[in-house]
Amino acid sequence: MALLEIKNLSVDFKTRNGVVHAVRDVSYQIDTGQMLGIVGESGSGKSVGMLALMGLLAKNGSVVSGQMLFDGRDISPLAEEFHGDMKAYEKAMEEIRGVKIGMIFQDPMTYLNPVLKIGTQITEGIIKHDKCSKQEAKTRAIELMKQVGIPSPEDRFDQYPFEFSGGMRQRIVIAIALACRPRLIIADEPTTALDVTVQAQIIDLLKELAKEKNMAVIMITHDLGVVSMMCERVNIMYAGKIVETGSLDEIFYETKHPYTKGLLDSVGTHAGTGRQSLLSIPGTPPDLLKLHSGCAFMPRCREAMNICRDYQPAEVCFGADHCASCWHFCKDRADEIVKAQEG
Amino acid sequence: MLAKADYFKPIDPSLQNAEFIAVAPRGFWRDVWDRFKVNKRALIGLIVLAVIVLAAVIGPVLSPYPYDGMGTEINAKMSLKHWFGTDALGRDLFTRSLYGVRISLLVGFLTTFINMVVGVIYGGIAGYVGGKTDMIMMRIVDVIYAIPSLLYVILLMLIFGSNVGSIMLGMCISGWIGTSRMMRTQVIALKEREFVLAAYTEGASARRILLRHMLTNALSPLLVQATMAIPQAIFQEAFLSFIGMGISAPQASLGTLAQDARMYMTVYPHQMFCPVSIICIIIFALNFISEGLSEALDPTRRH
Amino acid sequence: MREQEPVIKVRHLKKYFMANRHILKPSDYVKAVDDVSLEIYPGETVGLVGESGCGKSTLARSIIRIYEPTAGEVIYKGADITHLSNAKLRQYRNKMQMIFQDPYASLNPRYTVGEIIGEPMEIYRMYDKAGREAKVQELLELVGLKPDHISRYPHEFSGGQRQRIGIARTLALDPDFIICDEPISALDVSIQAQIINLLEKLQDERKLTYLFIAHDLTMVKHISHKIGVMYLGHLVEFGDADEVYSNPLHPYTRALLSAAPIADPKKARESKRIKLEGEVPSPIHAPEGCPFCTRCAECRPECRITPPIMANQDGHKVACFKYV
Repeated sequence: MALLEIKNLSVDFKTRNGVVHAVRDVSYQIDTGQMLGIVGESGSGKSVGMLALMGLLAKNGSVVSGQMLFDGRDISPLAEEFHGDMKAYEKAMEEIRGVKIGMIFQDPMTYLNPVLKIGTQITEGIIKHDKCSKQEAKTRAIELMKQVGIPSPEDRFDQYPFEFSGGMRQRIVIAIALACRPRLIIADEPTTALDVTVQAQIIDLLKELAKEKNMAVIMITHDLGVVSMMCERVNIMYAGKIVETGSLDEIFYETKHPYTKGLLDSVGTHAGTGRQSLLSIPGTPPDLLKLHSGCAFMPRCREAMNICRDYQPAEVCFGADHCASCWHFCKDRADEIVKAQEG
Repeated sequence: MLAKADYFKPIDPSLQNAEFIAVAPRGFWRDVWDRFKVNKRALIGLIVLAVIVLAAVIGPVLSPYPYDGMGTEINAKMSLKHWFGTDALGRDLFTRSLYGVRISLLVGFLTTFINMVVGVIYGGIAGYVGGKTDMIMMRIVDVIYAIPSLLYVILLMLIFGSNVGSIMLGMCISGWIGTSRMMRTQVIALKEREFVLAAYTEGASARRILLRHMLTNALSPLLVQATMAIPQAIFQEAFLSFIGMGISAPQASLGTLAQDARMYMTVYPHQMFCPVSIICIIIFALNFISEGLSEALDPTRRH
Repeated sequence: MREQEPVIKVRHLKKYFMANRHILKPSDYVKAVDDVSLEIYPGETVGLVGESGCGKSTLARSIIRIYEPTAGEVIYKGADITHLSNAKLRQYRNKMQMIFQDPYASLNPRYTVGEIIGEPMEIYRMYDKAGREAKVQELLELVGLKPDHISRYPHEFSGGQRQRIGIARTLALDPDFIICDEPISALDVSIQAQIINLLEKLQDERKLTYLFIAHDLTMVKHISHKIGVMYLGHLVEFGDADEVYSNPLHPYTRALLSAAPIADPKKARESKRIKLEGEVPSPIHAPEGCPFCTRCAECRPECRITPPIMANQDGHKVACFKYV
């Protein structure tokens, strides 16, 4: 059984200008010990999906459909278990969020409380969920700090976040995420705010820790470089949908979707060095408020066809689990797909 | 309707329109107004204030009684003839209240406006030039601020006599200091903003940067401050008049009306009640407007 | 030797900021830029790379005189502009322009695109109102936007579109030298390549000279002719782009090159990364000798005493004792 299985998840946001469908019918799964990369640009819904999973959506956002099975239990706010009772849902999430699923965010400074000693912040979760004494928690916290590579953890236990550098802060956030021995870590752009040399350190650390503790990691990033350094599977998202999913090598070397191709061209994966070597995707990401009925990538697609404008493509799989949603691969089923969307 | 035969033909690039902008073009102030008018309390405040301003401007002209005209009916009750009754000298209190509103609003708006202008210029220069100039300018401000503003008013009254002018002047001497401090902080923060640096590298003059780039972006907090300063000034004027330091008879402000009514309060409470409730209504209205404005201007609420 | 005269010549430029003022002992200074010299020739792009706090943005801002340099000279086409008053500087301002990092902060939110792009022309009293409008529309088309975007406000655009508006604004005065201060690091991947390509196209069409600043080497290699690497206020390596990539000399450049994530799983698996320990030290308490000695695997005793001087190997310069 998969550790986490997302089925047909859709998330909407109500804004002053209308309803934004931030995540549209997304399904995927991740197994124990697996490293999944979710790649997309800003507004692709890659973070929103995770926030929905953790029950951390902003007030104007809501899960409108779908199941989120963690270890076989549906932890979506729509799950039958809760009967629409948000208090019961919140209570259940408190036992999962930060305990069974750890989180690492882009900016460690917004996650850490600036007026609390970092020791307090690490032990907080341990004491609450393991019900152990303060002394035991401290021993564990120092052990964790050692694991994430903080030098002389005994001395630094009583320091405040501002006394740490950016990379060290991110290590502390990782230590907090690991505190309750989670089975899944969700890392939302954990290295974007860091310098390149520090970024490499943090990625190595995450990789080692995940292997050692047999944790699954979902890495949300816009950086294909980070993905190729640590992930086994990749989901490519565009305008709230997964447009292509596959193993790392399938995504990079057997690329199917024009958007994925465009992304790889943009970072120069298949290009040499030197000037004029980049191919880019023209235009600008779509406004989710005003999507037309067809494929959201159509306006920027080099291979767009007439049908792309009016009808959504269906997902087609090429191997065990390398799938892409593009009209170029489902031409033969066109009649059936068009009919389904008109009805 | 798309013909089946055309399904898989390459799309006409003009239909792709990759630089499409979905939202309608809207200016900043249009947005602010849209947000402001959703706030019911603020909108009511604005309407009430507009009615009061209108009444104060045209009311005395339409009123059959002059504000200083004494009549034979003294201390009359509220009636259709005299809406607010008359005072001890037989003057129509409604007409006098309208005059009082005129003076109160004049004091409130004019002093706030002067304070804003002086404060923005002073604080803008201090913040923009920085360094020693800034230090000296801000120390001067500290000195002015160290003396209570009541003292300035009393001194000016002694010199120029008790009239609207000396009250306003007294309130202006130290009134601009809050604005200047706020403007200075804004300017110092804006100095590092990239669009200001861009204007600087384009060769824009200090004046241009201050007016076009800094003032326009500092305007939101300044406006909110101004809407809060107006009721304060009105209150201060009423207070000064009430303790007998305001304008002299036969002119009237809402404060002096309340002061005059004080003696007869137990017998003719309506003489006190009318001007005081007008002050209250004005101040409530302004506070609601201020609250609505600060919400409408708050950029974090923008999508 | 080259016959051409450099567009920009920076000589021993220093920019120190006071960090803590002390009365009884010398104040603490942040040596944001410490003794940097470089030359930029017409039509070329110099990529300037380094991690946060290395002084690359301060150097750029000192060149374009947003900051007053503490010492050293900036020479624009033979004219020393380091000590010119603001009024005299005006005649050079239109020749040197800057593209900023954050497209959300670099456009004044209160004005329309037309007013923003038209402003530099207004300042220099170029054209009449109608002429300016026509020119703005021309510039909008040049950067791939539509002429009817002229009356729109910045917040209606996406990040990449805003950055293109910023580029159009810098072009309004027909400059010949443009500093690009991390123009792509706030943008989405697919948009970064767009901006790089646009800058290259404009460079070819208008014979522009760029100083292009970035925090890593991945995208810089696609636009630069030459690359300079900065660390803690010092320029540690400078040379032809291909040279610096294929044969990095300074240990820091090598580490920086190998740390950058490669968007290619096969290469990523093969590549052996040089792991750097620790992080950049605080610029207030910078090391006495070579700035990199605290993290360098090849640090020798002499490195800790004095900073190395630039060694020149056929135009490939490096500041490291290994090459002295």
